[in-house]
Amino acid sequence: MTEQNPIRILTDQAAVPGVLRSLSRRNLLSMTAIVSGGLLLSACSPGGKGGAKPGEGPTATGGKLEDKLSIYSWGDYDAPEVLDAFTKEKGPKIIIDAYGSNEELISKLVAGKGTGGYDIIVPTGSYIPQMVENGLLMKLNKDLIPNIKYMDPEFLDLKWDPKGEYSICKAWGTTGFVYDTTVISRDLATWNDFMDAAANEASGKTSVLDDPAELTGIYFWANGIDWNTTDTAKLDAAEKYLVDELAPHVSAFDSYPGSGAIPQSSAALIQCWNGDARQGILESKQPDKWKWVLGAPDTELWMDNWAISATAPHPEAAHAFINFVLTPENQLANVSYIGYHTGAKDIEATARAEKLPMLDLIFFSPEQLATMHEGEVNEATTRVVDIYNKMKAAASA
Amino acid sequence: MTALDQTAEATRAPETSAAPAPVHRVRKPLADRLLKGWSILVFVFLFIPILVIVIYSFNTGRLLIAFDQFGFDSYAALFQKRTLSDAVMISLIVGALSSVFAAALGTFAGIALARKPGKWTFWFVGFLLLVAVTPDIVGAVSLLPMLVFLGQDMGLDFFNNGIVRLTIGSSLFSIAVVTYIVRARLVGMPANLEEASADLYSTPVRTFRKVTLPLAMPAILAGLLLSFTFSLDDTIVASFVQVSGSTPWPVYVLSALRSGLRPEIAAVSTIMLVITLVALAVVALVLKRAGDSATDIARTMSGG
Amino acid sequence: MKPAQRRRLPGFALALPAWLWLFVFFLVPVAVVFWYSFGYKPGLFGTHANDVLSFDRYAEVFTPTFFDTFRNTLWIGVAGTLLCFVIGAPIAYWMALKAPANLKGLLIALVLVPFWTNFLVRTIGWMVVLSPEGWLSTALQSLGFEPFSILHTRSAVLFGVVYNYLPLMILPLFVAFDRVGEVVREASKDLGATPVRTFMRVTFPLARPGIVVGVLLVYIPLMGDYITATVLGGAKGNMVGQMLASQFQTAQNWALGSAMAIMLILMITLSIAAMAVLAWLISLPFRYQNRVRLEGVPA
Repeated sequence: MTEQNPIRILTDQAAVPGVLRSLSRRNLLSMTAIVSGGLLLSACSPGGKGGAKPGEGPTATGGKLEDKLSIYSWGDYDAPEVLDAFTKEKGPKIIIDAYGSNEELISKLVAGKGTGGYDIIVPTGSYIPQMVENGLLMKLNKDLIPNIKYMDPEFLDLKWDPKGEYSICKAWGTTGFVYDTTVISRDLATWNDFMDAAANEASGKTSVLDDPAELTGIYFWANGIDWNTTDTAKLDAAEKYLVDELAPHVSAFDSYPGSGAIPQSSAALIQCWNGDARQGILESKQPDKWKWVLGAPDTELWMDNWAISATAPHPEAAHAFINFVLTPENQLANVSYIGYHTGAKDIEATARAEKLPMLDLIFFSPEQLATMHEGEVNEATTRVVDIYNKMKAAASA
Repeated sequence: MTALDQTAEATRAPETSAAPAPVHRVRKPLADRLLKGWSILVFVFLFIPILVIVIYSFNTGRLLIAFDQFGFDSYAALFQKRTLSDAVMISLIVGALSSVFAAALGTFAGIALARKPGKWTFWFVGFLLLVAVTPDIVGAVSLLPMLVFLGQDMGLDFFNNGIVRLTIGSSLFSIAVVTYIVRARLVGMPANLEEASADLYSTPVRTFRKVTLPLAMPAILAGLLLSFTFSLDDTIVASFVQVSGSTPWPVYVLSALRSGLRPEIAAVSTIMLVITLVALAVVALVLKRAGDSATDIARTMSGG
Repeated sequence: MKPAQRRRLPGFALALPAWLWLFVFFLVPVAVVFWYSFGYKPGLFGTHANDVLSFDRYAEVFTPTFFDTFRNTLWIGVAGTLLCFVIGAPIAYWMALKAPANLKGLLIALVLVPFWTNFLVRTIGWMVVLSPEGWLSTALQSLGFEPFSILHTRSAVLFGVVYNYLPLMILPLFVAFDRVGEVVREASKDLGATPVRTFMRVTFPLARPGIVVGVLLVYIPLMGDYITATVLGGAKGNMVGQMLASQFQTAQNWALGSAMAIMLILMITLSIAAMAVLAWLISLPFRYQNRVRLEGVPA
């Protein structure tokens, strides 16, 4: 009622300063329209361009180490004692974060445009050429990494980084599967056996990797097709199998069954990487019921590499860490923990001498190596990711 | 018998009470007992995983899910592993900042809605409804490009800071919630006191400070508490906008799902649980002194 | 005494900060997402491009596989909310109207305490309990049951979702029932109504607003939540939120992800509208029954 007092209104209108007048609704609306228009216009530019161009950006010069180091890597991929030792000896505190696929890594780097704050990243070799082209990687200063001499030259300067400017081998491995012998009593030996068991004894208890390429891989490896094919007909066939036949039997898309599904026995047939299988079996209460099978007749050879993000906030610490990890003792500690071959010189002999458990899951014979093929990032990759999404949608129906 | 006794007997209610009474007396207790039994079951159900986590925090194994032996190793590891306590600290700091901020903005908005409605009310309420109906994930995927745009393309380094980003992310839904709660509380109270204050020559600012705010205080406190809770639990938005180095607790646990859940996570959760219980006890004591009944609090928290 | 200088701010000035904040950090981003949904994905490392506009992304969302996920999410949302209501209503009723008054505070705290533990940690707790090799499963096996195989199934998702959102249903229901109060119900009984009649004609109608709040408070976050579903449901727990996140995180197809986001908002709004209409339709026969016919009054 007091608001309707005419005298008060008159007085107030005379007293209102210009600032308050500009708060009228019309002005406010026009102001926000201008601001938002500007924002929208700039947002309309196509996104996805990377940060620094290759060659540009900060490179370490051997200066003082920063106090932090951020590692964005695959899950449970470093021996904790190595990480602790680095902090104790060199200083920088380590922050570690995990992703489940290269696509996720790239997506985080691209979407964040460098604000993500990651220093060390661990991409799989086949993705490196495109990452370099899009300016996501920083050139390594090899002077700061003298311990590279402990690496077996066979695993350096491979086709995705011929001059070794951006990456150093961290670990290489392969893909296979484990199965619970109490649920599946017959012997499984090939991918075709995998597909068969998934449809029968292990229906509803099958876990596959949460990684697009390895899903289409199941179909291609089982049928003797090059898993990097760009042939539309073959991709269509793979999609048909995965979405219509395999998806209904899948109970989980899990890239790390070693820390969950295997010890918990929440699946009976699990596609996994060799080192992860080893970790899971060692951690399980009944290790003897699990049998590991290397993918046959063909399977994958992947290699993960140490690399530094082009927008790394702590390049000095990053170089120091890579150098630290390449010493023989730390290489051995890592092999023992993660269960993968780290590309170090004579590591197999050392591991056998140390009598590490389950070595047949880490080191392979030349015949086995011949069945392993590297992956490629090519025109088919978008289609493969598409198939992966469709398969996930079909699996939940 | 004396005359007194005779009168007493005459005026005593007949022994045979009305027929429906036995039916009522037998039926009600059964329904009551069933309800009580059901409630106890539900309470047990609510606490099972909490109990499991507390028990598994004493696991000395490498993985949380595989119980090895009973021991205090995980608690010891807590003190060595700074990343865990850092994550909790970040969550607490972001929670505090975000809830205070949301409470401030929400209180003003709620008061405006309750006391000075106008043609703008319809649009504003509609806007708040849109915020409420939009799921977390949509807010998260849209917020990240905006923050990156502000931080990178516009060069405002302020928006590259992890804590700033997390605070912004968790404040959005909270503002809508606080606005609603404050408005609900004030709408239920007529503006008599404020009018009286104005009649006594108090400036609007003074009225606001001395009358409106205290009236709305229980709602503001409830809003603060709710915002803090939501912010602590905010997983989806946080996982999208966070910056490495300021990882909040829920995102840490989410990431641990991939790198292997360790018993330390259960240890931290147990400690947080104990702290929450202690805080609850303190709050209960304070409120009992202030005289607000438990129902009043719950009522305000649920929006009146 | 000179009247104090009064500066009259327009009515919504107080609401302005909130308005601006939400505008910049919510409305504009969502509008931008809406804009993205008309674009496409340019090549492998590009996230989005809008130089060619079309409805193609929406057409993609309507393909059977993706649409199935939407249907799946709707099913979990509705079933989960319904279950929450069925489980939560009796306990809320008991707490509000049957429990001893001095215990009410304690009971509310008991409901809230699990809610204050981190939501992921609670879900992990269930993962441990429901694990096929866990203690519960082993114990049941010794009694002759099969080992638990509920993890990674649709039921596990419902289970986890109901657990996580139950307190959000119980609290508003408690307040609603409490608001009804003893007085009105006692009056009803004094006038001869049976307990059932009292509930149907007095308690329930008065508690209705609180029921609506509870249902909405559970349904809306449930539709967008995908973490519970992923942890407990594995592949079967693929909800729209997960698909959306995957488009932005793995597939890097912001255009398609944006289209899915808009569809999700639409689906939630439409389903709430549908529920409101349904509730109104259901109430019609009751209203007809409760109508009061006045004697001697012209119709």
